[in-house]
Amino acid sequence: MAEEVLRMQGITKIYPNGFMANRNITFGIGQNEIHALVGENGAGKTTLMKILFGMEDCQEGKIFINGKEEKIANPLDAIAKGVGMVHQHFMLLPSLSVAENVTLGVEPMKNGLFDYNTAVKETQEIADKYNFKVDATAKVSTLSVGQMQKVEILKALIKGAKILILDEPTAVLTPQETEELFEQLFKLRDSGVSVIFISHKLEEVMRICSKVTVLRRGECMGTYDTKDLDESKISRLMVGRDVILKIEKEDPQPKEAILEIKDLHRYNSFGKAVIDGVSFTVHSGEVVGIAGVEGNGQSELSEVLAGLSEFASGDVILNGKSIKGLSVRQIRDNGMAYIAEDRMVEGVSGDMSIEMNIMADRFTKPNYKTGLFVDAKKIRKETEELIQEFEILCDGPEQPVRMLSGGNIQKVVVAREFTSGANFILANQPTRGIDVGTAEMIRKTIVRKSREEGTCTILISADLNEVLECSDRLLVMRKGKVVAAFPKANEVSEDTLGEYMLGLKSMTPEQMEGLL
Amino acid sequence: MTEKEKKTVVETSGTAQKDPRRTDAMRKTQRIEAIMEIVRIVAGMAIAYIVALLILVAISDDPVFIVKQFILGPFSSPRRIGSIVNLAVPFTLCGLSMCFMYAVNKFNLIGESIFMLSGCIITWVALAIGQNMPAIILIPLLLIVGAIVGAVLSFIPAIMDRKLNANVVVVSLMLNSVIAQLAIYILRYYMKDPGISFIGSYELPKQIQFATLFGKMRIGAGVIIALIAVVIVSIIFFKTAFGWKMRIVGSNPKFATAVGLSTLGISFAAQLAGGALAGVAGATEIMNSYKRFQWTASTGHGFDGLLVAVLAKKNPVLVPIGALFLAYVRIGADVVNTSGDIPYEFISVIQGIIILLVAAESFLSGFKNRLIYRSVQADKAKKSA
Repeated sequence: MAEEVLRMQGITKIYPNGFMANRNITFGIGQNEIHALVGENGAGKTTLMKILFGMEDCQEGKIFINGKEEKIANPLDAIAKGVGMVHQHFMLLPSLSVAENVTLGVEPMKNGLFDYNTAVKETQEIADKYNFKVDATAKVSTLSVGQMQKVEILKALIKGAKILILDEPTAVLTPQETEELFEQLFKLRDSGVSVIFISHKLEEVMRICSKVTVLRRGECMGTYDTKDLDESKISRLMVGRDVILKIEKEDPQPKEAILEIKDLHRYNSFGKAVIDGVSFTVHSGEVVGIAGVEGNGQSELSEVLAGLSEFASGDVILNGKSIKGLSVRQIRDNGMAYIAEDRMVEGVSGDMSIEMNIMADRFTKPNYKTGLFVDAKKIRKETEELIQEFEILCDGPEQPVRMLSGGNIQKVVVAREFTSGANFILANQPTRGIDVGTAEMIRKTIVRKSREEGTCTILISADLNEVLECSDRLLVMRKGKVVAAFPKANEVSEDTLGEYMLGLKSMTPEQMEGLL
Repeated sequence: MTEKEKKTVVETSGTAQKDPRRTDAMRKTQRIEAIMEIVRIVAGMAIAYIVALLILVAISDDPVFIVKQFILGPFSSPRRIGSIVNLAVPFTLCGLSMCFMYAVNKFNLIGESIFMLSGCIITWVALAIGQNMPAIILIPLLLIVGAIVGAVLSFIPAIMDRKLNANVVVVSLMLNSVIAQLAIYILRYYMKDPGISFIGSYELPKQIQFATLFGKMRIGAGVIIALIAVVIVSIIFFKTAFGWKMRIVGSNPKFATAVGLSTLGISFAAQLAGGALAGVAGATEIMNSYKRFQWTASTGHGFDGLLVAVLAKKNPVLVPIGALFLAYVRIGADVVNTSGDIPYEFISVIQGIIILLVAAESFLSGFKNRLIYRSVQADKAKKSA
């Protein structure tokens, strides 16, 4: 084994809400190694990396870098000790150039002033060295997501990072961009940088990593050579049981149209079309997936359908009634349920009890009232039933939602939305950032409701695996338009999908005829 | 929930996924959070007192006497204890009023002038039509008039906030000066009693000047109105759909909108309700503590209400406690002022420190986190043993 450059020994971290995120975790990384850190969400991967990068402190444990014990007080300290981190959410200044972003904090100076030309030169040198195709003088706001990620990596490299942490780097990338990233990671590895690769995507882990450390519920399940493992073995280590990555489902039996979107347009405050003439119909008993690189109108479409924002022209007909001008309440009463993209913003109120969160859409209805008051008994009984049905792990209905883990918070959301009696479910990123077990439950429920109860579902997801597995029909959105439609989602390959998402290909209206 | 029910819930939810890190530790964590909340408030008050004492030592000739007067003075006679309660009555009502505003995160401070104008208007009504009306009709009538005055006045900042997106704090503060002058105008030109040496209205009908209770303590009957209000507001907050809506809107407006609640409408209605309660507060105070309407400047009760609501963490059940505490501090300042060489303004220093420490959520959080850590550790040790 190559010389160990990093060792984290016996790390224990307890958050102020009493949640033990890491429990006595020990693992080490060798030189010239791409080391995967895998685990369900909430398993403690991000926490562990935040400790390494000095963003969180831990109650117990030691960190050794190149065999020497180090205390890492803050991210600056971590950078000084050769640790760099690329976060899931980029931390860039969009109005500045690539060079300015990359050299931020280590600015070359001339006569006491920032030396832009040297900054560009230094940036371009290091970019060329690792074969990163970015223009150092370009403004960050003009870059694609994949290029921004490269800028983030360059930021770490220019500060001399020898250990590079990548937190779910491929989540935002198209398959083609992912390939490019892997090439660059191999180059980095060969030039002596150790990479910690956090990912959910096990086939990526198998492909590029030589070692894998598995976390489960805050504990380390061990470090393995990837050649001794396969995907199903890793997922068994992650969740403690076999996870069926494929969803078994019968063919859909689409019946009457429930949701009709007709030539929908919406503009942002700058007058730019964010939804540009979208038309399609969803029928009872089918799941329609919407794939696309984030920021191509999916969120805007979902806001319109949920009644949270207006649209300029066109129409949306739900159960035979236009939603134009209706309140969210009226649209919900007309059969809509909404799993929001960001659960902490629109999905729950963190400080409120589980009970109030689950009942939030229905306690105003007459059958939940006794005279002037809410029917506390009935509400409590139904809440407890739903907590059981959806297996929400909690202390009871009165516990504030913020004390739960991400997966359990999402269970609170779906316990409400799946039981509201709606026949149209709008699911926007329903499984983002939650554990595999909960994600599986949510996906299966979506499919089951469509087959058994005849609900119509729109599934918007950045997780290609999810849209491909769950959906019956699949649409691709790009720049506010539907650019591709496939009759059977599970027959589409990720690569094909990527080409449409990136705009390398697009279908003509004739090709999509009958599929919208 | 009974113990037995609690147990079944835990068991059934536990069967799904056994996660040993959670349930026990989390319940303890909740308890530590609750205890630390109290510790934090008590420690905040203690620090405020220590600072006050230090200042007293510096500026007073007889610090020990002043300190004693300040802490124990309010309890030194039944009359003074009664005064605390009497002072806590408007504080409670105004605190409840601010709970409504605060619950939906609208810092509508119009209660300050509602209190004054409501007192003025009910005096005018009582003088105009109430001379021969029995108390049992007149008192409820005047409370309703006060509530209407409050609802109408708070409508202005609320509707401007809703329709024009005008900042509710600015609008209500500006309106306060206008409305206070309106009350003074009515007093001077429509009901001033020329037969008294100060500016004041004619005397209120005798039957609505509240009787005093509890003998020497001389606690006004207004305390009954305050207690009824606490019960009603608590029921509204925790038992009615409107209360639930307000709390959801206040804690996360985007979530409230997404589940189909009318965020704008609910916060609007909450502000009207809060205004009505401020009106009741003004009416009650006039009948409880005065023979005439004689306010010639804004009384500050509206702002005190905000203070009480913050101390009570916008929980109406805790409002009387916050109100009593504030009244105790104020009476202490009164005692010191009359019996020593310390100015009344001194008390605003202590108040400021208390509010700072109580409102500062992170105060003592390091200590709290250590407690939580230790309890989780102990749990772990127990399990592995």
